Amino acid sequence: MTRRGKPSSARDRLLRGIIAGALLLVSVVVLVPILNLVALSFSDPGRVAEVRGLTIVPKGFSTVNYRVLAANPLFVRSVLNSLFITVTGTAINLVLTSMAAFALTRNSLPGRRFFMILVVTVMVLEPGLIPEYLVVKKIGLMNSLWSVILYKAVNVYYLIILMRFFEEVPVSFIEAARVDGAGYGTILWRIMLPLAKSALATLGLFYGVYHWNEYFRASIYLSEPTKYPLQLVLRQFVVLKDNTTLVGSGAMFSYDEAARLNYEGLQASTIVVAMLPVLIVYPLILKYYTKGVMEGGVKE
Amino acid sequence: MKAKPALAPPGARLPDRTVLLLLLAPALVYFAVYHLWPIAGMVMAFQDYRIVGPSRFAGLKHFRTLFSSPAFLDVLRNTLIISSMKIILFFPLPIVFALMVNELRSMFLRKFVQATAYLPHFLSWVVIAGVWISFLSPGTGGANQLRGVFGLPPVDYMTSKGHIRWVLFASETWRSMGWDSIIYLAALMRISPSLYESADMDGASPLQKMRYVTLPELVPTMVTVFILNLGFFLNAGFDQVFNMMNDSVISVIDILDTYVYRIGLLNMQYSFSTAASLFKGLIGLVLILSTHAASKRVTGKGLW
Repeated sequence: MTRRGKPSSARDRLLRGIIAGALLLVSVVVLVPILNLVALSFSDPGRVAEVRGLTIVPKGFSTVNYRVLAANPLFVRSVLNSLFITVTGTAINLVLTSMAAFALTRNSLPGRRFFMILVVTVMVLEPGLIPEYLVVKKIGLMNSLWSVILYKAVNVYYLIILMRFFEEVPVSFIEAARVDGAGYGTILWRIMLPLAKSALATLGLFYGVYHWNEYFRASIYLSEPTKYPLQLVLRQFVVLKDNTTLVGSGAMFSYDEAARLNYEGLQASTIVVAMLPVLIVYPLILKYYTKGVMEGGVKE
Repeated sequence: MKAKPALAPPGARLPDRTVLLLLLAPALVYFAVYHLWPIAGMVMAFQDYRIVGPSRFAGLKHFRTLFSSPAFLDVLRNTLIISSMKIILFFPLPIVFALMVNELRSMFLRKFVQATAYLPHFLSWVVIAGVWISFLSPGTGGANQLRGVFGLPPVDYMTSKGHIRWVLFASETWRSMGWDSIIYLAALMRISPSLYESADMDGASPLQKMRYVTLPELVPTMVTVFILNLGFFLNAGFDQVFNMMNDSVISVIDILDTYVYRIGLLNMQYSFSTAASLFKGLIGLVLILSTHAASKRVTGKGLW
């Protein structure tokens, strides 16, 4: 267990205790504000005033906030929009990124040097917001979910990561397949993608989180609230404190319910729903991406 | 076989080069439409953009307006201040965090601390702003509850000009300290145990081992991270500022990207806004190219 050979002295143990304590404090600082909102969202609306900033256990228990959200057509719509953007966007990301990474790592690709220069250009030159906005307008994607889906169809950094991965596949694998008469399409599909499964899973998770969290392009390209993704509705409601878009639009709830509602609780539950998919895939992210780092300690 | 010519027999297929180009084509179309076309469009910084009809050449007019505008100079100053806080003050935190995590003996504790510390990196800035606005709220927020314990009066952090930059710094730390420590943890794992063994034989204390073994081994990683961050100096964190900004504090945290957004999309000054983008883009390009060169020289690894 002990890495440094010598039995640890009392002073060492004290130091280690202080370090462990300080790190636990970091965890507490990360978790408490989040758990506080979870507690707020499940608290009885009548008792929300009792929930202080450091409370992490709900006061009373009620799912009314979530029921109100589930009954709100705009909210439900925004969750569906976000899911559609995330699933479609990630699928497009993975297909385009892996096809391009494969092509760019083949020596027989004509003009390969030119294409690599293009990739680096895309990486270092950032187009201005307005020119990009005008292009989206010109290609007719304004007020379409596709403007948001296609905005980051290929992330250049991820493309390069996948290229590094493909470069490490032994050439003999590919040559053997070519001898057997396989074309590049078959090689990509049958050899490269299966070998890159965990890399693709990692990229897919990162792309997916990116799409789920996207709100800015949606805010400039989409004009109808029924097309908004959840993060944008959340921004309107929580950051801009605009209660009318989400809550005030039409007969969302009965008069009784509206009177009983507490905005703080409702805002908290909107935040919780917006975090939920990320929390669900988070264990997978830890598994694929940080596995090496997390388990490095065991191998000592 | 009487297969029609269109149905190629198993052996015959599209030439390899065509297949490769076809595989690359969708990504190329994307780069052309979403990157190259808008980059070409930045020429409007030198024009008076008109929605209908051809735009007129305007020379450096918009740049002159930009540099003589006090608002722009304030924005530039805010950007530099906020970026410096995030790059220089923040810099040691992930290193210290990684060194501390590396000292943990309990695997459970180690996993728990890492899993919690990396989490905020995956939350959107909208969610983080929501969490922080709630935590810092003057009435019921956790921060002011803590102040109350020490008998201090409540502070409305989100609307206080004196505090808001520190709110940006603190929330950036909250989001990124754990995640940014990963690269250092990975570097720590690579240090050869034999170095520590020989330090032990020389009777080195834990602090001496830290000073003479661990830190020198981390220096290349520190250099890489630092110069990579410099390349993005003018970014200062659009999403964060955009979601934490309000009218009370806009004068101290309005940065280049939020300024470009406001004058461009809200005030519809397309050409003027693009001049500001182009200025930022050019400085950014110079920074990235020089940090790339610096990184290559110092560590042998560039950005690409």
